[in-house]
Amino acid sequence: MFELNKTLTYQGLVLFWKQIKDFLITLGEIGVNFSRVVRYILNLRINISETIEQSKRFAFDSLPISLTIVGMTSIIIAMQLAPELARQGGASYTGMLSALVMVRELAAVMSGFAIISMVGSSFASEIASMAVTEQLSAMKVLRVDPIEYLIVPRFCAGVLFMPVVFIISATFGLACAGLVSNQTADLSLLNYVTSMWHGLYVRDIFIAILKSSFFGGTIALISCSCGYATRGGAKEVGLATTKAVVWSFLAIAMWDFIFASIFYL
Amino acid sequence: MTLEVKNLVKTFDKRKILNNISFKVENGETLGVIGFSGSGKSTLLKIIAGILYEDSGSIIFPKDSEVAMAFQYSALFDFLSVYENIAFPLVERKELRGKYTQEEISKIVHEKLRMVGLEGIEDKYPSELSGGMQKRVGFARAIVTNPNIILYDEPTAGLDPVTSTMIENYIVQLKKDLNAACVVVTHQLSTIKRAVDKVIMLYQGDIVFRGSVEELLSGVNPYAKQFVNASIQGPMNIAT
Ligand SMILES: Nc1ncnc2c1ncn2[C@@H]1O[C@H](COP(=O)(O)OP(=O)(O)OP(=O)(O)O)[C@@H](O)[C@H]1O
Ligand SMILES: [Mg+2]
Repeated sequence: MFELNKTLTYQGLVLFWKQIKDFLITLGEIGVNFSRVVRYILNLRINISETIEQSKRFAFDSLPISLTIVGMTSIIIAMQLAPELARQGGASYTGMLSALVMVRELAAVMSGFAIISMVGSSFASEIASMAVTEQLSAMKVLRVDPIEYLIVPRFCAGVLFMPVVFIISATFGLACAGLVSNQTADLSLLNYVTSMWHGLYVRDIFIAILKSSFFGGTIALISCSCGYATRGGAKEVGLATTKAVVWSFLAIAMWDFIFASIFYL
Repeated sequence: MTLEVKNLVKTFDKRKILNNISFKVENGETLGVIGFSGSGKSTLLKIIAGILYEDSGSIIFPKDSEVAMAFQYSALFDFLSVYENIAFPLVERKELRGKYTQEEISKIVHEKLRMVGLEGIEDKYPSELSGGMQKRVGFARAIVTNPNIILYDEPTAGLDPVTSTMIENYIVQLKKDLNAACVVVTHQLSTIKRAVDKVIMLYQGDIVFRGSVEELLSGVNPYAKQFVNASIQGPMNIAT
């Protein structure tokens, strides 16, 4: 006999609808949390000591991996680019190109990825495990809003310290690229630095700082929201962490696209 | 401070966990809630505490009440030390921020720790404590703000008999000192005998017994009798 609810198409559609619903619910949760975070910030209800604590985590914990990723990427790019440019008589453009790529795209996005994997995932899993062990409930009964105590400081840390991570890793990346060009293409460091100045625009730097600030805030907000909404047990804590990472990656890609469209189109 | 629960209904996944529950607890009175595992006792406390929402019905208590809850599984903040856990509401709650000096807070925390017999563990973290110790720290944290509605979820489960008695005495003492309305969820007859003024028993969403401790123990009500005698035969079936 033909049973509609056993057909593959039907089950596929059900699954698809469930995915869409989950997506919309998550989006809603992030939106609600964002509005509550903003309200606390506007009322200047920011827990300073917690914010400092989280900022340390945000900036220092992620720095080794940010520097490694940004450093490695810029070394690899310079390794491939510098000899080629030198061969085609464009050696003096190496610095400029590196600066453009580093400031406009590479440093912010790569350190964003590093921060998602280092900090975002730990935000998500720690808040998720607090949720499933009723610590968030206990906090509410003690009349301390977990949004104010946990999420606002993490959000502020992200907004304030992602630009710092960006600046440090961009500087480090440019230095790496310079050294590699010097080694692989016999480009003098002076030449590299002079050329680099031509590629460094104040406007680019400001946009990139603003962009990293958006990245940092978004990663913190998404990671905390995914953790906050967790119900269940160990498996759900894992799922929440995965979700936080995936959503943060997507959000970063989206912001990057939006920034590029607004400022460079 | 009176606490009143009126026609409370709560459903989980289409299963009625609480079906039209009503009761009242006066100031300076302790209500014991008993019932099988899974009968909705913790759910009831969580709804009163405001961390779960009822489907219908109402929870009535004065607006300025201070509600406290000692959780079944302690729910201590695992990233904070015992001291910081107990001091948490005094330090972090907006209305209390800056109200106490460091010395005052330290004095209060030590007093509460002494009460539950746990002096000297201020700097330990919850993961370094035994289950019973965590439970007592949870108890201390719950009462640190001098609440007038206190909800205890199995406060003596997993404690040795002597420590249980100590906790039971404190439940009685606190009720008097704070003139609080208390609800104690428990499986332990000792706790019911020592710390409770009246009892309700939940079964399949309904209150199947309501009365004094003497009435509970008298064996007149068949549900109460089965529970007190811990017998498998009786009106209640564990399988459901
Ligand atoms: N968040 C939830 N989602 C779905 N069902 C739930 C949830 N919380 C509790 N339940 C269900 O509600 C029922 C009552 O649970 P509750 O924790 O209130 O029981 P209890 O009386 O406290 O039991 P115990 O004595 O074992 O602590 C159980 O059957 C449980 O499966
Ligand atoms: Mg329970």
